[in-house]
Amino acid sequence: MLEAAAQFKKQDGKLTVSADGRTVSWEANSGSPMLDIAVAEIGNLQQTPATAAKASIKVVVQKSPDQTEAYTFTFTSAAARDDQQAITGALRKWIEAWKAQAAVTPVATPRADGSSASAAMTIAQTVVGAGKPREDAYDDAKLLADIELQRSLLNSNPALRQRFDQAVRDKPETITIGQISNQFWATRVHLLRSHAAEKAQGAGTYNVLSVVKPKNEGGQFKLNMSKEQIQLIFAQHPLVKKVYNENVPGMSEGDFWSRFFNSRLVKKLRGEKITDVDPTDPKLDKYLNLDDDADNAPSLVMPSLPHFLDVEGNEQNHSQRLGNRPDLTMRPNTNEKVPILRVLNRMSEKMMADVPPSDADRHAPAGLDEETYKELQLRDLQRAADDNRIILKVQDQSQFFSAGQGLHTSSSAATYAKRTPAQVLSIMQQEFKNMPAGQGQNGGIDLQAAIGVEDESSSDEEASAKKVKVGSRSSRAAATSQIVRAIRKRHLHNDDYLSSQVTPTGEQAHKLGLSEQVFDNLAMTHNTTIEFLHYFWAVFYSGDPERANEVAKLIETLDKSLDRIKAVADTAESERTSSIENTKREIEIVAQRTGRRRKFDPNSIKGGAKVVNTIVEPLIRAIHTARKQYQTALSEQMPRTNLLNPN
Amino acid sequence: MNDIDGTVRTVVKDEGPPPSLLTIVLDTNPHAWAHLSSTLPLSTALANILVFINAHLASGNANCVAVIASHSHKACFLYPSPTPPSPQPHHGASNGEVEMNGPADRPIYSVSDNPNKYRPFATIETAILNNFAKLIDETDEAHLSATPTTLIGGALSLALSFINKSTIHHSPTSTHADALLSLADADGKHSERTTLTSRILIVSVSGDLANQYIPMMNSIFAAQRKRVPIDIIKLAGDTVLLQQASDATGGVYMKPERPEGLLQYLMMGFLPDAFARKTLIMPSAGGVDFRAACFCHRKVVDIGYVCSVCLSIFCEPTLPDNLCMTCGSYLSLRSAQMNPPALIPRKKKKKRRAGGTDSATPGGSTPAGSSTPMHG
Repeated sequence: MLEAAAQFKKQDGKLTVSADGRTVSWEANSGSPMLDIAVAEIGNLQQTPATAAKASIKVVVQKSPDQTEAYTFTFTSAAARDDQQAITGALRKWIEAWKAQAAVTPVATPRADGSSASAAMTIAQTVVGAGKPREDAYDDAKLLADIELQRSLLNSNPALRQRFDQAVRDKPETITIGQISNQFWATRVHLLRSHAAEKAQGAGTYNVLSVVKPKNEGGQFKLNMSKEQIQLIFAQHPLVKKVYNENVPGMSEGDFWSRFFNSRLVKKLRGEKITDVDPTDPKLDKYLNLDDDADNAPSLVMPSLPHFLDVEGNEQNHSQRLGNRPDLTMRPNTNEKVPILRVLNRMSEKMMADVPPSDADRHAPAGLDEETYKELQLRDLQRAADDNRIILKVQDQSQFFSAGQGLHTSSSAATYAKRTPAQVLSIMQQEFKNMPAGQGQNGGIDLQAAIGVEDESSSDEEASAKKVKVGSRSSRAAATSQIVRAIRKRHLHNDDYLSSQVTPTGEQAHKLGLSEQVFDNLAMTHNTTIEFLHYFWAVFYSGDPERANEVAKLIETLDKSLDRIKAVADTAESERTSSIENTKREIEIVAQRTGRRRKFDPNSIKGGAKVVNTIVEPLIRAIHTARKQYQTALSEQMPRTNLLNPN
Repeated sequence: MNDIDGTVRTVVKDEGPPPSLLTIVLDTNPHAWAHLSSTLPLSTALANILVFINAHLASGNANCVAVIASHSHKACFLYPSPTPPSPQPHHGASNGEVEMNGPADRPIYSVSDNPNKYRPFATIETAILNNFAKLIDETDEAHLSATPTTLIGGALSLALSFINKSTIHHSPTSTHADALLSLADADGKHSERTTLTSRILIVSVSGDLANQYIPMMNSIFAAQRKRVPIDIIKLAGDTVLLQQASDATGGVYMKPERPEGLLQYLMMGFLPDAFARKTLIMPSAGGVDFRAACFCHRKVVDIGYVCSVCLSIFCEPTLPDNLCMTCGSYLSLRSAQMNPPALIPRKKKKKRRAGGTDSATPGGSTPAGSSTPMHG
């Protein structure tokens, strides 16, 4: 608690800063005029420089926007300058503390608490100097450091959690969990950001009275209300609060609520029409005529309305000045006829009062802003804006489109060089003459003869021929088999142009002959190995000698990954052998029963280590490339350091 | 509705497969065909293609076809016959007959009244053969010795513009015009025009297409945008760019192991149109060669350097004047990619208090094993 002797408006007194930093107060020596300023409301603080004769400070307070007041205190004690410094320092500290706190609360979910509805409004107005808190919360560094957020994201996404756990489990000992989790999240910052944004959202308020309804359970009406709902009702309908306060010491709570929900009052508040058959309630009906809107004040003190179309400006333009009377539906109606419209509108107003406005920035200037001004402009009548694009100076386009390439540089030139151009030309012309043209009736090609397909010829004759004729049966059969093979491979990969599947499914596992478990194991091993490869290449290319040890350890990890793959292959192999045994046993049983022995073909049993190895072959190649590059780079650098440091 | 007028004016949409346009780009590089003449002579190949065209036309009443030849020095239409740009002067013909130029001993194909041949098939066949004969006549040795490859980029552009023109020709008319059409039509029901689906089939025999990387990639992206699948059947030559073409546009790429069975490949793999392809698995070969060609030397590269302004690809990081050759912007490579990987941990020598020049740790960015002779 800081005290200093100070003058305010030529009156001597004492300036005090409270211990918790919430208020600054000034009390005249005579005791009568007193001044209390809440530190949270202070907008500006100024002090006279050290060179001035008098030491004074000026506190600018913002009670509400557009209303600022300035209080000037002049220090009168012997150590005036020191007092001034002390008080200014303390005030500054407290102002910053309050501002930081105020900045945090608007970001949190708007709590539909009766008392905090107005508090939120005032806090919103004091964030004048707080800057942009929202963008900073999603800063990359902050997200990476926020372990809670990462944990909740892992909990919500099981696939990601699996990857992360596997990576942590398989890591080498020298790399700490911190490092590997840093690397893991460094590429997934966007996931963290979207998760943080999701979490920061919350549900808003809702119209409680329409939700809370007595339910009919076994002949008796039961009503469930939570404490939050009760508070919400009090916030949205101050009349109910009044009724409650006046009546509840008299009747019990349960009694009050049951009578309330059966009365005409609740119907009026809900906006439903009150018919004559509704039960009357002597105590609660008194309040039927009272107005529900005791608390209109906050909505009237709105920051300036966006005036983007001034309808009043058209007032003089109205031809007959009859207003809305000609239209039957537009006549102002009393509340009894259609109360629901008013009630709903009022409810929406109340709910929206807590929500910060989305269309206008709080700190924007009052009146028409830049955007709406532009919208109202008539663009067609204006001249075209200057072209702001970056011009690419493409120098010589023709060099890209020329196809010129001499015979000596092409790859197939060697084969083509065997014939001179003259020979080529003569071959072409000869060919053309040989077209079996004019052999069909009345000109035209006999296509049947041209394609060389002879249905009667059998392949035995052609087998002896030295050259395979075009269109022969064997060539057609070979073509068919190639095409069918390609189709089968395509089907296995499920590689449709229109649908791209990234995750391996159980169907594919079945097609390959592996069990689902082995397939999943393989997929997980693949994923973690890819993570480690990423990490390795990132460290390798960073060129940072500090991380040289990391690289060495990562190579060891990659070797371990190879072992893991081998383990999965062994599991698959053991599965296959067991299924082979099963088939053999079945054949034995069948043979014993029927006396017929079916031939056993081990190749028909799919799966096993061979399939696993074909699937992960690219991955193994990648690991070997990484290893090889590491070895070559290492061997290059080793002798150099040996030269420099012969010890 | 008036009761006097009982006509039912309903417009039904045709539920059958839409009309399909097949554009064949035939690579007629004489070098390559001469090389292939032992296994697959050009005449038989052409006959097989004609049978394939007939099959395509027979699959639907409204199907159409276009054939473009991609030759050594030019690309031209084989069907539909290109109309000559200006009226040709007659060479010594006394009567006003249209005469075929060329020596008289060459067989002249004409659409004679062959009762055994379906007329549309005959028309196409004669047009293709006539134009092809003209093309061969025009080539001479100078053309052949200039280049070993073919102008596939130009042929693709021709194909795409023809497809565009046909699509506009076949596109559904606006509703206002429909009302007028309905008046003229005596029959009450009529069907709306359906859009044309088109595809391109490239029969390719030559390699070395890296020279035409840029025009080809432009055509491929245009085809992708217009949803025109490009199918490729590669009889000979290296594959560099064409696999990318079929992969990017959703077409079928096949490299026949036995080119003698060409007709079987064509009929089984390339006959289904876009409508049928939705339900079939196409026999496209799996792997795609995604390498690009550098803009400076037309070399095929798989790791290259790309200008960040105009996205042109270069093969070396050092450019003349450090300027990009297309757009002239100043480029430099980030140091993170230039540093060699540092694998030896720096030995921390004790720092000497006096004489700061002897401190063993140089600036943070140079790795320990680098060649700067600091320790002398």
